[in-house]
Amino acid sequence: MAATGDESAVMDSICKAPAPPTDLQLTAEPEHEQEHRRDDATENPKAKRPSTNNDGGVETAEEATEPAEPDINELCRDMFDKMSVFLQGELTATCEDYKLLENMNKLTSLKYMEMKDISINISRNLQDLNQKYASLQPYLDQINQIEEQVTALEQAAYKLDTYSKKLEAKFKKLEKR
Amino acid sequence: MASSETQPRFGQSVKSLLSDKVTSCSGDVIALTRQVLKGSRSQELLSQAARNMVIQEDAILHSEDSLRKMSIITTHLQYHVEHSKNLQDQLKHLMK
Repeated sequence: MAATGDESAVMDSICKAPAPPTDLQLTAEPEHEQEHRRDDATENPKAKRPSTNNDGGVETAEEATEPAEPDINELCRDMFDKMSVFLQGELTATCEDYKLLENMNKLTSLKYMEMKDISINISRNLQDLNQKYASLQPYLDQINQIEEQVTALEQAAYKLDTYSKKLEAKFKKLEKR
Repeated sequence: MASSETQPRFGQSVKSLLSDKVTSCSGDVIALTRQVLKGSRSQELLSQAARNMVIQEDAILHSEDSLRKMSIITTHLQYHVEHSKNLQDQLKHLMK
């Protein structure tokens, strides 16, 4: 009986023997090692100590996760700030397009206003010119009449000249006889 | 879209699920924004409008140039008419 009791104790010890160290398993450690590990965690927070449960000889373990950040609120605020900056950037592109079109339209309207001023000046000058031309019109008609009369006078002078030359030639012919 | 499964799977902790959910939500917001911008077609329309305006600019400059030349020509015509008026006054004076 004692032998069987010894054997069962040996079997239990074998069952509960610590497994080789892995990332998933961290058994109870001395305190100085725990402190050393805490220091490592602050520098390189990689693995959380998972807990091991022994329920009826079956070992279970949780996933090794990152330790909780000390200032989660700050991180969330930072995340939302960056999201808002990104979204603003996406919308700013369209806003810039609108601003470009607005500037182009403003410049074009300025150009058209200048052209309007120029055309107003031109129309006023042309109206004055028409009035002055209308006041000069009788004189221009007189000039035309004078030109026609002078042309007629010139024609008459040529005819007279031709006739007088013929008359002179006839007179000389009669004189010779 | 994001998975609607919120129950922890084997090997997944609540924290990792939360981070996945946050990531997927932020991705969805970004995709939604881009889809809204794409659906409004504002980029295409605005770029087309800018392109048309650039094409019109040449015609506008040519029109302005023509108007300036017209103003110069009317000024010269005014000089001619003024000279004619001066001659008319001289003629009147001579006829007297």
